[in-house]
Amino acid sequence: MDECQSAIPAHDGDLHVVAAAHHIVKALGTTKNLSDDLRKILIDLDAHLSLITSNIDSKGGKGFVEVEERLKRVERKIVIWESDRIMIWDSGPKEASDYLEAVDEVQTLIDSLRGLSMNENQKQKELLHRASSLLQMAMSRLEEELIHMLVKHKQQSEPTYIPSPSSQRNVVYNESVVSLDNESAKEASSKNSCSDECGEYIVDLVPEHVIPDIKSIAKVMFASDYGQEFCEAFIGVRKEALEQHFDILENGKLSIEDLLKMEWCSLSTEMNKWTWSMKIIFGVYLMSEKRLCDQVLGEFGSVNSFCFLEIAKTTILCLLNFGEAIAMGPQEPEKLLRLLDMYETLADLVIDIDALFSEDGGSFVRLEFHKLLEGLADSVKAAFNAFGVAVSSNGSLYPFPGGGVHPLSKYVMNYISMFPEYCSTLNLLLEDQHSDVASLVSEPQCGPTASLSTSCPMACHLRSITSSLESNLHKKSKLYKDEALQHIFLMNNLHYMVQKVKGSELRPFFGDEWIRKHNAKFQQHEMNYERVTWSSVVLLLKDDNPGSSSLSKSTFKEMCKGFSIAFEEVYKNQTSWCIPDPQLREDLRISTSLKVVHAYRTFLGRNPAHVDDKCIKHTVEDVEKLLFGLFEGSPRSLRNSRRMMKT
Amino acid sequence: MTGTDQSSFLGRISIRRNQVNAMEGYHEQEIEDLELFQKQLSDRFAELLSAPDDAPTEAFLSISWIRKLLDVFLCCETECKAILLMERDAAQISKPPLDRLIPELLERVVKAMDICNAATNGVELVRHCQKLAEIAVSALEQKPFGEGQARRAKKALVSLMSAMHVDDKESSVQKTAERSWSFGRRSGNKDRHHGHYRSLSWQVAKHWSASKQIHAMTMNLAAPRGPEASCLPAPVYILSLIIVFVMWVLIAAIPCQERSGLTTHLPINKHVNWTHSLAGIHDKIGEEWKKKEKKGMAGLLYEMQKMEKLGQSLIEFTDSYQFPGEKEKLDEVAAQVAELAEVCRRMDEGLVPLQMLIREAFHRLVRNRTEFLDVLEQGAPVV
Repeated sequence: MDECQSAIPAHDGDLHVVAAAHHIVKALGTTKNLSDDLRKILIDLDAHLSLITSNIDSKGGKGFVEVEERLKRVERKIVIWESDRIMIWDSGPKEASDYLEAVDEVQTLIDSLRGLSMNENQKQKELLHRASSLLQMAMSRLEEELIHMLVKHKQQSEPTYIPSPSSQRNVVYNESVVSLDNESAKEASSKNSCSDECGEYIVDLVPEHVIPDIKSIAKVMFASDYGQEFCEAFIGVRKEALEQHFDILENGKLSIEDLLKMEWCSLSTEMNKWTWSMKIIFGVYLMSEKRLCDQVLGEFGSVNSFCFLEIAKTTILCLLNFGEAIAMGPQEPEKLLRLLDMYETLADLVIDIDALFSEDGGSFVRLEFHKLLEGLADSVKAAFNAFGVAVSSNGSLYPFPGGGVHPLSKYVMNYISMFPEYCSTLNLLLEDQHSDVASLVSEPQCGPTASLSTSCPMACHLRSITSSLESNLHKKSKLYKDEALQHIFLMNNLHYMVQKVKGSELRPFFGDEWIRKHNAKFQQHEMNYERVTWSSVVLLLKDDNPGSSSLSKSTFKEMCKGFSIAFEEVYKNQTSWCIPDPQLREDLRISTSLKVVHAYRTFLGRNPAHVDDKCIKHTVEDVEKLLFGLFEGSPRSLRNSRRMMKT
Repeated sequence: MTGTDQSSFLGRISIRRNQVNAMEGYHEQEIEDLELFQKQLSDRFAELLSAPDDAPTEAFLSISWIRKLLDVFLCCETECKAILLMERDAAQISKPPLDRLIPELLERVVKAMDICNAATNGVELVRHCQKLAEIAVSALEQKPFGEGQARRAKKALVSLMSAMHVDDKESSVQKTAERSWSFGRRSGNKDRHHGHYRSLSWQVAKHWSASKQIHAMTMNLAAPRGPEASCLPAPVYILSLIIVFVMWVLIAAIPCQERSGLTTHLPINKHVNWTHSLAGIHDKIGEEWKKKEKKGMAGLLYEMQKMEKLGQSLIEFTDSYQFPGEKEKLDEVAAQVAELAEVCRRMDEGLVPLQMLIREAFHRLVRNRTEFLDVLEQGAPVV
């Protein structure tokens, strides 16, 4: 425009040139197939040339007649909407484009008027003032239209297809190691995960067809230097929308103090919500928000990343602070799975976060989340160690009744059966502590010949945990005064461990060698039980003089009585013992029966002369039946059993 | 306070502890360390107190002043922890009365973390005000100036004032429900100029109250007396007091949720030398708070106060402005606009670093807590 200013003609001869140029421009303007850009240039040029002409005219006293006319025309177009109660963009595309055209015209007039020197020309000043006021009116109106548009369509685009966390959340393992004693542990717990359903899932936060309208407003507001106003309005509505979505995800706004004091059950729920919210907020909403910002503001330099950051900041800080509070809290063993969920979620999102906030302004967001990821990694390690410590230090004052499967065994085995789902994360996080544990767990699997799955850090840690469990169970078994029951207890628990390993994802991490070894262990306890309980009983039937053909009646009677008393004693004690696994129970009954019934039958068979009801309290069949009633876990008296057998 | 000062102080303690640990006179050396530390504290707070009330830079309660205060806090925290934990046997920390004092300190630390987060959020509101003021400035700087510009400026300034006078008791939830973007806005012409609304959410629990937090932090906070005043309880008290004090200043200066009754008396022991300036700052801010509290305001931050004053004056100007305006009045306004522009510039330079510094203080508190817990729980000395 500066060049144009200097081009204002001083001589009449120049005036003709200007007039000629003006005619040419006008003629060109009537051409039909012109590109939009070219047409705009011609219109601008036309305006400018007419100004030059009128400027010269004004010296003659006529003034900016044509400019004033044009201004009046657009004034009517803009002012008419001020009294109208309907929004322009709601009225129709024609109205909207007419309005935008009018604003363009005002802007053109202003540019042209500004482009001229202001040599004490009162009329020019006045016109510029009028045009600026008109522009302000239009801008204010456009801002309003923008807000209206954003709010109206925001509410319509409420996503309903995102499943709620409650429908996704599986049984949560909420029990803690410390709180269990003689209480059955919950059986199953499943990883709280939805990573497959909703990775990066971009939605239309504003319907596709509205974007061009928003962009057209952005274009004209930025062109008129009202970009700041546009951004403030845009940020205001979008920020609120995001916060509403965040509220819908039921994130209780909790202080760190609240969280540190929170009961485990509620905290676990909150941790789940966080994991869920992170996925939805970052994976869906922020991804989509970023796209919206780029779509609307991409043409205007760095404002899109500025606006995006402003929209996202408070929600992000909220999520960040929750993560910080969890990472600083005491890392109890029961938190492990939830912490792993949190860690994995963030680890998956970190690349997205880096991409979303790649600009300078967002560097602190990137930094904070990387810091949080480290914090959560430390928390996972701490909770894992705490779990190990809890397993080995869980103490009991009293023996576990019946010698069945101890709740600790159930808890530990069920809990670790969840670990394979987190295998790669655990391998990563436990790597640096790997060598210590690997040397502790002297299983052959950790040697050089081991397969990959049995020698990975998690496998070694798993076996280290079960070996802690074994030593703890040995400690617990010492609480039984009865040596036989010690063996039953260890047999039951080792058998349970083996079964759990065999029947779950744990198997490849423990390996066949481990299973063989532990099968042998519980079988050893089975044999020890038989030896300790029945050897002395069977011994009572042993003939001291195997050479002689038969015993004297009194010796026979004495031996029979001794056997009966010993057998009844065992029966009385052991009916209350428990072998929960039916197969194991059956096996033990059969092998016991083989040993005892066989000895008894042989004993009676060798002395047929003395066999009568008076001498023999229990028939072979009685003994057999009684033996098969053992280990049901419900105490029975012999009398009841006898009666039952007779009927 | 420069970095070298601090490293030499830390070096002094470290060397001392290593050399003298087994020797006699250990206690005397500790007293000497503590005195040196208190002397440094006293100097730092005296410097803060001496800041001018009204100055283009470094004014009392200005952004740069608060950044300085946070720097002082970070230094004190490091040094206090050095005195308490460096090269020290954990057993000393876990015996009475420290077994009570340290957990109390840690509770304060947790509350301070929440305050840091609230303040980080509050700075967001200040940044929003800055953006609005920038719009007003750019409108008012336009040449030639006309009614269009005046209206543009006024709209931004009105929004600025309402953003500043947001009630700190009001939670975002209520706000959202109450406000409507009013589709039927066209029915009444008045509320057409609703201004630039930015939803204000404190992002903390609804019942959370900044002033209650401060009040809770002062519980059981008493200066050690008698022989305790020269041994380990002393640095625990100093650290506690400084944490409470700095948090109190943050809340007073930066918009924050629920601040009524903030003039709570902080138990500053004025008989000790080092607290003179600290008490001076406390009194000065307390006075200021009392004056402003009733009006309802965004905080005592120097730049915000300045912005409020200029904003009001400029609203008056835009209200009565008629084209083309008197030359004298326009010159006067130009001076105010320049001043507002300067305030915006200082906010633009200072607010993000301030936010980062508050975040750093937060992380420091987190680390601080972990270190103390390690000492308390594992009984291992922290080096």
